[in-house]
Amino acid sequence: MNLKISALEFIEEAKNGNISVEEFVSTTLERINSVDDKLHAFLSVNDSVIDQARNIDKKIKSGEKVGDCFGMPISIKDNMCIKDTKTTCASKMLENFVAPYDATVISKLKKQDAIFIGKVNMDEFAMGLTTEFSAFGPSKNPWNIEHVPGGSSGGSAVSVSSYECIASLGSDTGGSVRNPASFCSTVGYKPTYGLISRFGLISYANSIEQIGPLTRTVKDTAFMLNLIAGVDPNDNTTVNNNNENYLENIDSGIEGKKIGIITEMIGDGIDPEVMTATKEAISKLEGLGAICEEVSLEMVKYSVAAYYTITATEAGSNLARYDNLRYGYEMPVEGYEFNSYISKARKKFGPEVTRRMIIGGFVPSAGHAGKYFLKAMKVKSKLTKEINEAFKKFDLLIAPTVPILPFKIGEKIDDPVSLFLVDINTVTANLTGKPAISIPFKIVNGLPIGIQLMANSMNDKMLLQAAHALEKTVTLPEVPI
Amino acid sequence: MVTVEEIEHVSKLMKINVDDHSEYLEKVQTMISYFDILDSAGVESEEISMPEIPIEQLRNDEHIPFGDKLIEKMNHYKGTFVRAPKM
Amino acid sequence: MTKIGLEIHCQLTNLESKLFCSCKANYREFEPNENICPVCAGMPGSLPRLNQEAVKKATMISMALNCSTPEKIAFFRKNYFYPDLPKNFQITQLNIYGDTSVGGSGTITVGDKKIRITRIQLEEDPGRLIYEGSSSKNQITLVDYNRAGTPLVEIVTEPDFETPKEVRDFLNILSDLLKNLGVADPSLEGAMRADANVSTRGGNKVEIKNIGSFHDLEKAAHFEITRQESLHDRDIAIVQETRHWDDRRKITVSSRSKEEDLDYRYFLEGDIPWVKINPEIKTELKSKMPESISSKKERYVTKYQIPEQVADVLSSDKFYSDLFEESHSESNAKEVANIITTELMGLEDTREKRESSKLTATHLKDLADAIQSGKVSRNSSKNALHEILKTGKTVSQIISELDLGNVSDESELLKIIEKIISDESEAVDQAKSNPQTINYLVGKVMQATKGKADPTLTLNLLKKQIGI
Repeated sequence: MNLKISALEFIEEAKNGNISVEEFVSTTLERINSVDDKLHAFLSVNDSVIDQARNIDKKIKSGEKVGDCFGMPISIKDNMCIKDTKTTCASKMLENFVAPYDATVISKLKKQDAIFIGKVNMDEFAMGLTTEFSAFGPSKNPWNIEHVPGGSSGGSAVSVSSYECIASLGSDTGGSVRNPASFCSTVGYKPTYGLISRFGLISYANSIEQIGPLTRTVKDTAFMLNLIAGVDPNDNTTVNNNNENYLENIDSGIEGKKIGIITEMIGDGIDPEVMTATKEAISKLEGLGAICEEVSLEMVKYSVAAYYTITATEAGSNLARYDNLRYGYEMPVEGYEFNSYISKARKKFGPEVTRRMIIGGFVPSAGHAGKYFLKAMKVKSKLTKEINEAFKKFDLLIAPTVPILPFKIGEKIDDPVSLFLVDINTVTANLTGKPAISIPFKIVNGLPIGIQLMANSMNDKMLLQAAHALEKTVTLPEVPI
Repeated sequence: MVTVEEIEHVSKLMKINVDDHSEYLEKVQTMISYFDILDSAGVESEEISMPEIPIEQLRNDEHIPFGDKLIEKMNHYKGTFVRAPKM
Repeated sequence: MTKIGLEIHCQLTNLESKLFCSCKANYREFEPNENICPVCAGMPGSLPRLNQEAVKKATMISMALNCSTPEKIAFFRKNYFYPDLPKNFQITQLNIYGDTSVGGSGTITVGDKKIRITRIQLEEDPGRLIYEGSSSKNQITLVDYNRAGTPLVEIVTEPDFETPKEVRDFLNILSDLLKNLGVADPSLEGAMRADANVSTRGGNKVEIKNIGSFHDLEKAAHFEITRQESLHDRDIAIVQETRHWDDRRKITVSSRSKEEDLDYRYFLEGDIPWVKINPEIKTELKSKMPESISSKKERYVTKYQIPEQVADVLSSDKFYSDLFEESHSESNAKEVANIITTELMGLEDTREKRESSKLTATHLKDLADAIQSGKVSRNSSKNALHEILKTGKTVSQIISELDLGNVSDESELLKIIEKIISDESEAVDQAKSNPQTINYLVGKVMQATKGKADPTLTLNLLKKQIGI
């Protein structure tokens, strides 16, 4: 059974009865068994999937109405709630937490007969860029297992690129979907802020994060977006997309589109291989009829500092509820006083989360808020103004997703600022709420390079059309695992 | 410059019991020093912006019970309470 | 110079659901933790959903207190750890980025004084705690989240009060106002709470928290003023601090908590966008607002010539002013108002009595008409009222059954008067010399007729018989 097909291909084959969903899912489980010891993408695998697949085959055969997903196996980053399933955020703090409800995206996909094959690894509470901060061990890059797969949605990217599932849902706060997508050579999408409901996504930095799909093709992403985007009464920050169909006219191309090359994202510190790839991508786009020109977004220089200040503040507040009283892990309250219990319980946070908590307590505190937190909010405002100005002239903005090639596991873990800067090309989209996508573009020395496109708010459809056009110009080698 | 005392103070505020504050000191100091770059952004006069929603789009005032017995899915309950340590 | 300011928390008990989820706003009928959902229990991944009606009601309160109402309101997080706080932060309102709380500055009149309102904000109530365990070793806290997320309106005043009595009067006025607006029932247990801040002779401000009732608030303010004055007299400076009211010992005690370091790290609540309340909505709200107490009072006085004091009492009480509206006609308004304020309110002095009473607007109307037409005396009408509350029978039924009808038959009355005159010859002589004292004889006739004699007729006949 060939697992190396896209979601749309799978659905077509399943619909026509050319493949059995049960066989496909079962082969997928075999694949997971054979490679995941090495890759460690999965934190838990769902053992009821064969039964689910069997039921779907039955429905297909009997002509009953089947949901649009036709049983396609999807992995879910372990920070999204699936009812009655363990949801750990890759943290010891939540190692026993069983979600009592479904996230909105999960209910929507359930209704469409998606199969959730398992929960995948991430940096603890989504704080990180490499999945090395997971409390349950890092995931490995299937292109070279000594290298990081990116993060925080590392498990998502690994599981998709190594054919352990057809697609995945991750979350992107500062690049956490696009970065691992780029490092693992998959498509990674962050929608306009508010396009996809965050109800059931365990919050890290709620004012800027979004759930996003990781898929093999851009069309697959558009397909997923059709199923999960839209206003949700359970999330006051969702926006109305008027039931936009993202697959429709995805082939329209980019003839005449103006694309801005963000100067600050191809500056010092960029790997020469990445620079070359970026130039190649620009040529390809020009070959398709786009007009490319450099544009400067001055605030990008301050975006990383602003991003970490704001996210640490929000995280410090969003993670305050983990006091181990209602959910978490086993630790009786007898014999403790309130403050000592809470402080001891929260020792289960890993070192990176602990650092962010400390920073998150510091930067908005009474004596320091003016210098750090408020300034960061103002940088966010000004960056948004700048990018809005840029979108008056340009339809799209382009840059490499990550300025450097995937690096070795352990290489940056002790150098926080160097690690921060891996995000420099991705945080802008989060801070400004704009949609952004990473398209797998090139493999150099066995390591993937992705190209990022951004569009203005609510222009997700046009962004996907452009991404699809670029994607079509590329043929990539197969993952060597 | 962030001091060990400040980190201790913040850890108490955030209820993070760090055994050895100096272990975190260096990395946290490095991270916070990096944020000093914000001082040169020249954004003092910027206004803070936020998304808006018209009041008509807010939730209707209806009582809809959750349905499941949520308390049974939570830790530490005696009868139907959540237990917390003494104050 | 004493200055007292207040921070009043009022639950919007007339709402159906909580501020950020669809659990019931009035939690009082539930077993512990039966009125909760992932949102108000602070489960991971849950998000707040703002209640539209809560924003409207809070805006109405702001308008009723003459406060400015901004075009857009915003919510903030107040971060601190406490077991009754499911998220370990409270979603509340602040005005640090311009005026973003639901009500800005306003005023309310108390007697002849204008009290300034600083601001009004919408926020969520925390859960409730019960302490269990006798010894320090086995003590634990039990948490009930039923109340968590209940919509609260916090009303903050400037320190414009000068005496505890002013505070008490204000709280009563505010309580009536909120009830009249239909936003809350302040008589429900825990529905309205207040903290005070007190400063004397220009000294530091002391906050007093944990005050259980308005009665206690008056006491606490009184105690605190006395405490501060005595310190002043001994030249000891007043420490700026938070004290709590110890109800058992009836004193304020310093809250020596580690909370001096408390830093709430306030920032905007990213899960709730700024809410635009456009002018059309405000106009609509204003037009739907029930008539204000002061407007009602004025109407009662000018239109129906109801005495000011009576109008005061009647207009401040929503239940009875509604009853008045239903039962009065142009002609008997004054009488209805009188019956309500002098008799009925005293008889129905508890909620249970009010709820079990069988009195209707028709009864009131009929009774007032009967008094005015002389069918029954005011005295007898009291007995009639008792019966109505108990049995619900019609006024005419009761008058005949209890034989309450006025004795207005002249010949009958004459017989009684003649007997009294013969029995009370001394009083008759007194009345001849001092006509004022004839009231004693009138009283005697009333006694003999069990209060049913028509007083005017009695007086006239007496005078005639005596010859004055």
